[in-house]
Amino acid sequence: MSTLAATMRRLRFSRELVLLGVLIVLVLVMSLLSPLFFTLGNLLNTSRFFVEVGLMALGMTLIIITGGIDLSVGSNLGLSSVAVGFTFAAGLPLPLAILFGLVVGTSAGLFNGLFITLLELHPLVVTLGTFALFQGLAYGVTGAEAVSDFPAWFAYFGQAYLGPIPGQLFVFVVAVAVVWIILSRTRFGRYVYAIGNNEEAARFSGVPIRRVKISLYSGIGLLVGMAAVIYTSRVSTARGDSGLGLELAVISAVVLGGASIYGGSGTIAGTVLGVLIIATLQNGLILAGVPSTWQLFVLGVLLLVAVFLNEFFRQKEE
Amino acid sequence: MTEARASAERGAGDAVLRRFLVRPEAPALAFLAVLLVVFTLANDRFLTASNLESIVDSVAVLGVIALAVNQVILCGEIDISTGSMLGLCAIAAGAVSLSTGGLLLPLLAGVAVGALAGALNGALVTLGRIPAIIVTLGMLYALRGVILLVTGGTWITGVPEATRFLGTGNVLGISVPVIILFALFLVMELVNRNSTWGRNVLAVGGNRVAARFAGLPVNRVRFLAFALVGVFVGIASLIYLGRAGSVQTNTGVGLELQAVAAVVIGGTRISGGRGSALAALTGAVLIGVILNGLVLLGVPGIWQQAVLGALILLAVATDVLRRRLVGDKS
Repeated sequence: MSTLAATMRRLRFSRELVLLGVLIVLVLVMSLLSPLFFTLGNLLNTSRFFVEVGLMALGMTLIIITGGIDLSVGSNLGLSSVAVGFTFAAGLPLPLAILFGLVVGTSAGLFNGLFITLLELHPLVVTLGTFALFQGLAYGVTGAEAVSDFPAWFAYFGQAYLGPIPGQLFVFVVAVAVVWIILSRTRFGRYVYAIGNNEEAARFSGVPIRRVKISLYSGIGLLVGMAAVIYTSRVSTARGDSGLGLELAVISAVVLGGASIYGGSGTIAGTVLGVLIIATLQNGLILAGVPSTWQLFVLGVLLLVAVFLNEFFRQKEE
Repeated sequence: MTEARASAERGAGDAVLRRFLVRPEAPALAFLAVLLVVFTLANDRFLTASNLESIVDSVAVLGVIALAVNQVILCGEIDISTGSMLGLCAIAAGAVSLSTGGLLLPLLAGVAVGALAGALNGALVTLGRIPAIIVTLGMLYALRGVILLVTGGTWITGVPEATRFLGTGNVLGISVPVIILFALFLVMELVNRNSTWGRNVLAVGGNRVAARFAGLPVNRVRFLAFALVGVFVGIASLIYLGRAGSVQTNTGVGLELQAVAAVVIGGTRISGGRGSALAALTGAVLIGVILNGLVLLGVPGIWQQAVLGALILLAVATDVLRRRLVGDKS
């Protein structure tokens, strides 16, 4: 009972509750703008589009909590997608090609992690470099060609429905549960917060900082690989420029969800709400007939407003 | 530290080498020299005045922007919005040029739009207290959105000859973009060596807390750096407009990355406080030489992006190793 009371007390002022309010208001506004919006079909359909961003946002949450950042996720998605498509086109059986895509995604993340920890460089400059490198490799290896003659069963990953529910939604729910448990119920999760709060103190407390960071960057690489398989299946095409600019949506979702860009705080629940808010906004804007050219602008401004409000309220709290 | 000192005392030759290695531009300058020798041996048309001029010509836009981004990085911040900013400035300049012609009004329009965008970056970073990477990432996309909105996806073409002077002109047999690049380089060297703001930029980047305690106007120093990027991007947009003669909605895409790459490859430390205008210029020329060399070697243009990424990583890794070698712990 006492834990329930404590939970209630925490809930009353929580950032997540505010975000939930924002989400509800957004859904109401969008319903008024377009009669099509608040239909079960559309809401479930929307979920097909946010799973890729959502998966990457889960990994990004942990990285941002440690005070790091990964700008290369969009490029890595393109590289992993190409890895699946072009090994398949070269004759590798599709299950192995999918596995190869996951390996490429994870290795790309591992490369980031090793580079950052061994040379003690800021993640920003390393992932800015790999942002260009991964994208360039994806373009160069494929000669900017695309592969799209996948067998019918490949569509299972990105286009299947279980009843009315898109298949990838289950993948996302499982991933949310796993990452939530890791972050809030394991020693590793405490390490993540410790590093973000004070890396020096964490080091002297015996936190294996390098190992944690390498795991995190490899982990987001794996999530990117999964997102790449789902994305490639959903659009039935593997191209080097898949995922272009996705890092913006991913980082926006995480900071919108309340993670401090300076590290030390952030939650999975917040990130999931952030992902839902961005997905609702994008879907609603399309249904309301707003030209897609506005979307970049809206997303860019949204990112700025979210970070500003976040830091503003944090300073107020302190 | 002591090891490095001991090795420096071993001989005069070592001392000269060490003095060279201590300079942040050292790896880039050495690399540039090696490349020039290699390309000269590989292709006898490489080391001609006209080819060298055309290389510098081709990186003038990048170099001018890199000189300003260098100041932002020197004071410990970053600006990755310059690609979209260049597109927007070029559209403003192009639109004014189509209705009025001439050079001065389009230049003013480009510089004004750039300064406005740069000042907005600076205000959000200093007053809004949002990290520069987030501000400029948001602006990169927001400004590209503005470009699509104001142009409706159409190109600006047929820019009058008078407006194109900064990109295609010639003074005393030297092309104008080259003159602008070297003039602005000299200005920035003088600013960094002799002006209060130039010294403050290095102080703020070296240790922001110490700079604040020393009474330096930390926010104003950083704000001016971001505003300067806008002004330089405005100037660069006229060079671009002159060279291309048209503006597309995707003008400048990816340039933000090249500008940061030029600065970092040249040797300015990404965390700020150490570097020089020479580093930005060296980095930009190095990128030009490498891209030119790739063409000479017959490498498809599609690999450019990968080469650029690898260069950034190589540059930051070399800098770490160089610092470990000379025992520079800062």
